[in-house]
Amino acid sequence: MSGCDCSKAKAELEEFLHGELCREDAADIREHMDDCEDCTTEHRVGVVLIETVRRACKETAPEELRTEILARIRLEQATH
Amino acid sequence: MATATLARPRTTLPAVPTTLGSTVGLDSTAMTTDEPHAAPHDLVEETEAQLDAVSEEAALREDEAGDREDEASDREDEASDDQATAVDVVDAKTVSEAELRSLFEDQALPFMDQLYGAAMRMTRNPADASDLVQETFVKAFAAFRQFKQGTNLKAWLYRILTNTFINTYRKNQRNPYQGTIDELEDWQLGGAESVTQSISARSAEADAIDHLPSSAVKDALQAIPEDFRMAVYFADVEGFSYQEIADIMKTPVGTVMSRLHRGRRLLRGLLADHARETGIVPDAASTATMRGRGRKVAAASSRVEGKEAR
Repeated sequence: MSGCDCSKAKAELEEFLHGELCREDAADIREHMDDCEDCTTEHRVGVVLIETVRRACKETAPEELRTEILARIRLEQATH
Repeated sequence: MATATLARPRTTLPAVPTTLGSTVGLDSTAMTTDEPHAAPHDLVEETEAQLDAVSEEAALREDEAGDREDEASDREDEASDDQATAVDVVDAKTVSEAELRSLFEDQALPFMDQLYGAAMRMTRNPADASDLVQETFVKAFAAFRQFKQGTNLKAWLYRILTNTFINTYRKNQRNPYQGTIDELEDWQLGGAESVTQSISARSAEADAIDHLPSSAVKDALQAIPEDFRMAVYFADVEGFSYQEIADIMKTPVGTVMSRLHRGRRLLRGLLADHARETGIVPDAASTATMRGRGRKVAAASSRVEGKEAR
């Protein structure tokens, strides 16, 4: 008794991906995807997109930035 | 913004359930950040990010104190009495200067790399990103006594980062989309038209996107309008909730969802284009609807924003 069709699943997919749906709605989407290759594929594109962006955006601040910030904070504290 | 702070259970101030309840009720119906005490809508007019961040907290406390002047003096006592129930380990309002600094260094500095990553997406070059992060920490430290221990420090820092960026950088380089980008129709924006693609085409698209080099992904991110880009960044990279993003970007949750949806759509179109152009995915796998979409905005946007950053 899935209360979920493709249009509902696709409309809510993004919220599903971001964990914004309530448990019941998320379960509906999952249940629908079990039987729907179309929506499963769409979900996979969404997951890949998130992971790709996350991977690409991983940055490490320059070593000296930490030192500079610590120095600035001490200076701020001393002058205020 | 004040909405999240309000909506969250305020364990440090257990004496004000009525004020809190009514404010939360207001928020949930309006879902907007434009509260009476909030700063002017045009953020650029605001002078200091920390003033903004602090004024929200301060205004809030004043609201609460307004109804019960007599209780204000008991605040300190209450805070210590409630240690058992409060999540706070330390009360930043009463610690010494040295303790405050070490608390700040322990709690806030670990977010440096993450803030730098966001700053890179905002400013698009390492020098400006470093400056922005440094300013953010200085402002955050100046306001740290007002930060409510036990609430979301990461979101608080991102709000200061975003304000600082808007106040110091966006002022100089007017974003032509500012104020209008959210009103554009989907067809004006372009982007991937996934519904018309076959399952196998979309599966190939996922594989292709998965194998793109980081530089291509960053270029694509830089090519989409800033508000969309940052919404995607906050959600997909930082994992902020829609409400947290709404607070950081000072916009209603509905706008966040729209920005996210459109940003991801544009990004997907650009990445699929890139994958196809570089031969990562065979041309047959992408349909005509994919081709060339998502470029109108991208082209215009990159003219303004440049592409120097990686």
